[in-house]
Amino acid sequence: MQGGNTLETLPLDKNSDRVVLDRVRNALGSIILGKDRQIRLAVSCLLARGHLLIEDLPGLGKTMLAQALARVLGMSFRRIQFTSDLLPADIVGVSVFRQNLGEFEFQPGPIFSQLILADEVNRATPKAQSALLEAMEEYQVSVDGNTRRLPEPFFVVATQNPADQIGTFPLPESQLDRFLMRLELGYPDAENERELITGADRRSMLEDIEAVTSPEALQELQRAAAQTAMSEPLVDYIQALVRQTRESPEIDIGLSPRAALALAAAAKAHAFVERHSGVYPDDIQAVFAAVAGHRLKPAGNTSHRSAAELCQHVLDTVAIP
Amino acid sequence: MAKPRGTDGSLLASLPWTLAALGVALAPHVPFLPLWITTAFLVCAAWRYAIEKYRRSLPSMWLRALLALTCFLGVFATYATISGVGPGSALLAIMASLKLLETRKRRDQFVLLFISIFLVMSALLREQYLWSLPYMVIAILLIMAAWLQTSVVTSTPVRRSFATGGRLMLYAAPLAVAMWVFFPRISNPFWAVPMDTGTATSGISDSMSPGDISSLSLSDAVAFRVRFEGAVPEPRDRYWRGLVLTIFNGRTWSMNDPFEGPRVHEQIAGNSEPVRYEITLEPTRQQWVFALDMPRSWTLSRTFMGPQQQLARSHPIDQRIKYEAESYLEYTTNVELPGYARDWYRRIPAASNTRTQALARNMRAAAGSDPAYIDAVLRKFHEEDYFYTLEPPPLGSNSVDRFLFDTQRGFCEHYASAFAVMMRAAGIPARVVLGYQGGEMNPIAGHMIVRQSDAHAWNEVWLDGRGWYRVDPTSAVAPERIDSGISGALLDGTAAAWGLSAPSALLHRLTLSLDALNAKWNEWVLGYGPETQDTVMRWLGMEDPNWQKMFLTLLASVIGITIAISFLLMLRYRPPNRDRAAILYERFVNKTGITPAIGETPAAFAARASTDSNLAAEDIETITSTYLDARYGAANPAALPALESAVTALSRRASRHSNHS
Repeated sequence: MQGGNTLETLPLDKNSDRVVLDRVRNALGSIILGKDRQIRLAVSCLLARGHLLIEDLPGLGKTMLAQALARVLGMSFRRIQFTSDLLPADIVGVSVFRQNLGEFEFQPGPIFSQLILADEVNRATPKAQSALLEAMEEYQVSVDGNTRRLPEPFFVVATQNPADQIGTFPLPESQLDRFLMRLELGYPDAENERELITGADRRSMLEDIEAVTSPEALQELQRAAAQTAMSEPLVDYIQALVRQTRESPEIDIGLSPRAALALAAAAKAHAFVERHSGVYPDDIQAVFAAVAGHRLKPAGNTSHRSAAELCQHVLDTVAIP
Repeated sequence: MAKPRGTDGSLLASLPWTLAALGVALAPHVPFLPLWITTAFLVCAAWRYAIEKYRRSLPSMWLRALLALTCFLGVFATYATISGVGPGSALLAIMASLKLLETRKRRDQFVLLFISIFLVMSALLREQYLWSLPYMVIAILLIMAAWLQTSVVTSTPVRRSFATGGRLMLYAAPLAVAMWVFFPRISNPFWAVPMDTGTATSGISDSMSPGDISSLSLSDAVAFRVRFEGAVPEPRDRYWRGLVLTIFNGRTWSMNDPFEGPRVHEQIAGNSEPVRYEITLEPTRQQWVFALDMPRSWTLSRTFMGPQQQLARSHPIDQRIKYEAESYLEYTTNVELPGYARDWYRRIPAASNTRTQALARNMRAAAGSDPAYIDAVLRKFHEEDYFYTLEPPPLGSNSVDRFLFDTQRGFCEHYASAFAVMMRAAGIPARVVLGYQGGEMNPIAGHMIVRQSDAHAWNEVWLDGRGWYRVDPTSAVAPERIDSGISGALLDGTAAAWGLSAPSALLHRLTLSLDALNAKWNEWVLGYGPETQDTVMRWLGMEDPNWQKMFLTLLASVIGITIAISFLLMLRYRPPNRDRAAILYERFVNKTGITPAIGETPAAFAARASTDSNLAAEDIETITSTYLDARYGAANPAALPALESAVTALSRRASRHSNHS
């Protein structure tokens, strides 16, 4: 139903963008089974130049999703396992003194990659966390007083385990805000789980995957996604949603203007992925929980326990203009 | 059932607006209201604000009822009546203050704002000054902004509320002007404002005691304005005749009723060309009509000349009036004074002012003739140590004795009184004339201003063969008072010796400009009565203006202006671009018979409608996708027509379907 008839009206080069996107989604879908929604959101997040936080139990394919994204998009990939003894230098790199040259030489850390998987980000100390978060916000790192640009595109997928609270440093709200979206993968359904068990080894499948696009092409896609039209009524809609989070008695801390910007960017990217001729109300609703969920602080007396429920409650109380 | 009286602080943001609106509406009443009402308003305002701020409860119904009754009785006790402009607006003001104490909701605040508008309007019943209009505009603008601030749900910038209020007033302005110009004026409409007859205005009263006129000389208030047809008379000829006092009780001069007393109508013969002029008299709430000495004819209705050549109207002058008059500057009254009248004008209490009486008899005997005696008395004032001063020492009951022999300092009323007593004691008929002397030309407006400070008293004596003859003893003491007038004496500093301080030249010029503006305002705005309206109507091209024609014109212009403003607003209106798509979609939603939930997207609704409604799934899909494209998509000119035809086709099919079944 969605937009099939509008495809013809689109210019040809945009058309080829869409083909690339389809292939990205298909390739990801062949590895992560039954998680279409999450894949769509992850790709939208990437196209909106945002970072992604995946919050779920171990063994649900968080790492797999991050690796598959990197492979499919042809980006350089590094994984940083966050532990309590991780130092900022382990992330950004160190300057080493070369005896033979008589000077310091910078040894870049794993952060100098296009796609970073920051595994179990809440296990590291706030000091190490902030080294990563500075890079996420500024697209640059400062080492020994020198500022170094990070490669482009630069995309961080961080994971954290919500169940495991002992010896962790939960990310404060200000740092959660750096992530455009937070996703939960969840268990696969029965059919997909059976196929997972019987089918080929995912790791070897990952090896076989070929890049369908290049980082340069990805940047083009990002630019195109940002150009997606957003009509006046939907600007009003986003504003109404944000205002509702501020006024609702169920919510202690509502969304900031930065969150509203994030919502708009994510909705545009989602509309782009979905080949809509502009941002539709469905795009805003699709990304709302992922964008707003980790930025809201539920009130103590709310009946909506989870962030997803709270977000759905907000969507159910604001009329679409 | 008692209503809940608690407050939750929800009015805290809008309450200051309500209070400000009430305050600005009450302000012009404050000088006229008794102090306790203003105090009550301030107390109620502070009380109400504190209740909201600290989330206390409003006073109970019993307390409120008690307060209302007390205040009602208070107004009644203050004014002894509850009808009229004064008590009416006092009642309105105090009830508005009390209404604050039962203001719980926004609705109550609207009532208060409405009362504020009433209060602003009722201030106009009291007085209409030049600044009344700008003040009223500002007050209404503030009330409108308060209204807008109170009615919005989300906070709006204050500036925007003022801008909206101003715009609304601009839309209304042409209507107001049309109503004002064309509404037929009737000379004495039944809805005319009842005037407060009780309030005293400063001005000449109908008796004269020492100190009466000197207290007036500090007042800058305008008594009347004069426009001369020809040359302006010299300052020494500007005697504006008012009333004539004939009865003396030893201290105070008073008058008999102008239509009683010695019924002698003197005939007046003019010895010069009459002077023609037009006077605009401020309301005095008295009967006296002022004219240049000696009036020959006047155009004011119901005005007659009494036996002492004083002009009086049969009912008090409680509105600004305009009349034309002619006067002789030189005249003779050539009628014999009968014996009983002669006696009347010679009566003084025998037991009072005995030293003066003795002096008068001696001087008369020494002078030999009446004219010589008059000269002798004037010479006495001129040559001996008599002073003209605004602040004379107090006199006792034998005021003339004390003035002539002890204090020797006085203002015009002292000299006029002493002179008249000296004449009467010597057997010469004499009387005191009250009025104004002088007047200042306003070069900007071209008219003469006569102020209360020009108030003056002089004498008339009866001489055989000459009739009544004007003698001004003040001119013997302070000739410059007569030659240049009070205002001239003020400006050149002469008046400093009399106890009046000189104004700065700049301030004086400003005062004159303001006076010119005020005169225009009085003439064209406040004085827009039947005659002026007639003139304006003729000027606008209406032949034989009558009230039917004016009313039809008013109706036509109101309709015309309303249409013009609506058209203007329509031109300015920019409809949301894609509203048409929303309307079409709405039509489709109605056809499905299903109500969309709040926050349900068109796509989600389409999925539900495909299963729950009896419309074809492909129709639903087409309409939903074209609607999304037309309303939310990038500019795609084909989308809206596609939606239009899809919805029209659906409606046609549905109606055909219902016809078949």
